[in-house]
Amino acid sequence: MIKNVRIAWKPALAAVALAFAFGCSGGDTKTAEGDKPKGETTTQPSGTTTAARPEPTGEGVTATGDTIKIGVVGSLTGDQKPWGDDSIEGAKMALEEFNAAGGVNGKKVELIVGDSASKAEQAKSASEKLLSQGVIGIIGEVASGNTIQIAKAAFSKAVPVIGIGATRTDLTDEGTHVVRVCYTDAFQGPVMATFAYEELGKRKVGIVTDNKAPYSQGLSKSFADKFKALGGEVVGEVFYETGQTDFTGPINEIKGKNPDVLFLSGYFPEVGPMAQAIRGAGIGKDVPLLGGDGWDSPQLLVSGGDAIIDSFFCNHYNNKETRPEVTAFLTKWKAKHGGKDPGTTMAALGYDAASLTFDALKRAKNLNSKDLIEALNDTEGFKGVSGVINLKGKGGNPDKQALVVQVKPAAEGFQVFKKAYSPSDIK
Amino acid sequence: MPIHSIPADIFLPIGGVELSTLPQQLVDGLLLGFIYALIALGYTMVYGVLKLINFAHGEVFMIGAYCALFTSWALGYIPNNTLGAGQWWMLIVMLVASMVGCGLLGMTIERFAYRPLRNQPRIASLITAIGLSLLLQYGGQIFLPLNQNIDSKINPAAGAFTIALGGGKSVDTATLKHTLEEKQAAFEEYLKRTKADPFNLDADGKKIRSEAQAAERDLKNAADTGKGTTLVIPYGKVIAMIATIFLMMGLTYLVMYTKRGRAMRAVSHDFDAASLMGINVNSIVTFTFLLGSVMAGAGAMMVATFYAGAKIDTFFGMVFGVKAFVAAVLGGIGNIPGAVLGGLLMGLTEGLVSWLGFTAYKDAVAFVVLIVVLLLRPGGLLGSAKVEKV
Repeated sequence: MIKNVRIAWKPALAAVALAFAFGCSGGDTKTAEGDKPKGETTTQPSGTTTAARPEPTGEGVTATGDTIKIGVVGSLTGDQKPWGDDSIEGAKMALEEFNAAGGVNGKKVELIVGDSASKAEQAKSASEKLLSQGVIGIIGEVASGNTIQIAKAAFSKAVPVIGIGATRTDLTDEGTHVVRVCYTDAFQGPVMATFAYEELGKRKVGIVTDNKAPYSQGLSKSFADKFKALGGEVVGEVFYETGQTDFTGPINEIKGKNPDVLFLSGYFPEVGPMAQAIRGAGIGKDVPLLGGDGWDSPQLLVSGGDAIIDSFFCNHYNNKETRPEVTAFLTKWKAKHGGKDPGTTMAALGYDAASLTFDALKRAKNLNSKDLIEALNDTEGFKGVSGVINLKGKGGNPDKQALVVQVKPAAEGFQVFKKAYSPSDIK
Repeated sequence: MPIHSIPADIFLPIGGVELSTLPQQLVDGLLLGFIYALIALGYTMVYGVLKLINFAHGEVFMIGAYCALFTSWALGYIPNNTLGAGQWWMLIVMLVASMVGCGLLGMTIERFAYRPLRNQPRIASLITAIGLSLLLQYGGQIFLPLNQNIDSKINPAAGAFTIALGGGKSVDTATLKHTLEEKQAAFEEYLKRTKADPFNLDADGKKIRSEAQAAERDLKNAADTGKGTTLVIPYGKVIAMIATIFLMMGLTYLVMYTKRGRAMRAVSHDFDAASLMGINVNSIVTFTFLLGSVMAGAGAMMVATFYAGAKIDTFFGMVFGVKAFVAAVLGGIGNIPGAVLGGLLMGLTEGLVSWLGFTAYKDAVAFVVLIVVLLLRPGGLLGSAKVEKV
């Protein structure tokens, strides 16, 4: 017996070692590939990663039956529920309008909702379920980590994925079937870095990253790269995880580095409490807090209290804008929601993602998911609520403007517009 | 954790030891350790009496946080309220509400989930405990509000002790401060005169602004060099620590010097013999659950109220529960002083690990410590290793 065990040990060990070596090298190559387009897009924020995008090889799904089935995935439960609710509500509004206007040659569109429960693995199973129901396109998601799973699930079936608020830069490298209606972190990060360096005159940044969110990791990196390129110094980066309640350790660590500005690249459920902990640890208001569009929820005010007021973050559009698309959207939204503005910009982005999909359905040669992918990637001059969307030759990433807003108490309108950056402003 | 996100300078703190953050990390670790100890008491007492690891204890802790939250709402501190600082009696009401709520929940769990299985194999109770834990975590999502915070304004003792530990160089900041004020006044005057948007300035405005910002940076750099090592301890965390110590003293009195406590110890020593001696074992077991849950409730209220912005959802008790369980095992499960020692050690270890720059791994290190201790002393630090016949 013992002898057998001993003999069995060596090959087992070797196998483990081999697997480990392969696993590591695999991981390394992936990182290198992932970094490359990111580096490129940092210098060229409009995004020219078209060459790297694999083409889905599947036959594509053709719409059969009386209606055209389109899926939408959002977080109806969990941490990111405010985004899921808003984005799906926005998509439904677009659906009503489109069907009322006659649909595609009289054929109506049916929207099937899937719940990602704010979790990547749930997003995967929700999108697989939608695919098995024969959808020819999936709208979603807001979080990058969830969208990656949807994109992977939809690849083999050649079904397009229309990202709502997923900003992680390398997301569209999953394949030509992935497009989005929002800007990327390769733009958002440098926007905030430029704002911190030029407008706020800060030179020493401390970065706080959510190690569990691909979005946060990507955004921290693009911010740090730009801030260093401008001449600033990254004094330190500390990490926490989605769902963490006590931030004492990382905050003390970053405090010891004496930053003059902090960049919190995570999502609002953690950023609010963290802001309180940061101020509680004795980091004063002369050290402003900055963040990305992951901050966008009025819940930030509840969980952040006074500590979060006067911080800055990057967003897609502002309710106070006077473009006709914005006012028309807000009027319709308010009529449906008792006179209230949407809580997050994800409502407008969900509306845009859905409208863009329906618009592409009309332009597609056939009601087939492959033709829909082509039509989506050929989009030119689509006037969305969040700005004009051009996707032709953009590799799935529209070059839109980003707005820097300041957090103010609810009575003053939560987010107050401060400065707009268009892709040409960030060199 | 993905490999690429390890910061490049992660090993730096070991070479060039940065001492200035050590006191702060250790103190914060110790303060957190008291909370772990409070929760660990519940694990250890139940184990002592029933030889059952009550995995639902973390969820009792979570419900305690919700009790405190709802009480704070009932007192008017709803989201986006415009109230001022709270009163001391409010904190006491919240504490009592959490303790009562958790005590009731703990007794209910014992009565309906564990008692029917008491004469079954122990594994059945253990599985039930895990099941209950999951039920409360996921079932709670249906009817409990998620992502909530207790408004930190309800704590009347805002602010913190700031203790200078020395080590700073004496820097004259007065001139720098004066320059800054001058430059800022110039910029404000410019804004007033031109009515310009401070974030869309022309070349002149940018020049004035960058001078003001440079002065601001100079002052901050000077102040940072001058301040040396300081220790910031929020009043709230000190209150939590003192309250914890009192609760532990009360518990010690109850267990060591009252009749019920003696009965509890007897049950813990030998369940069957105690019942033969006329002790009402059922009532003692219920009492043990009540005590442990009350401690968890108090801990939950203090974390939710004094740890600024702590996010309350149905997974609130997961991390704390696991850490406290480790603390209980570390100190020797079944041993009450051991649980306290284990909790404090856990907190200190976390502080130390954070200081070394491994904040991302502090949870993992806690478990490494556990493994090492169990390898050297299988019964835990204060526990006695007994060979169990299976």
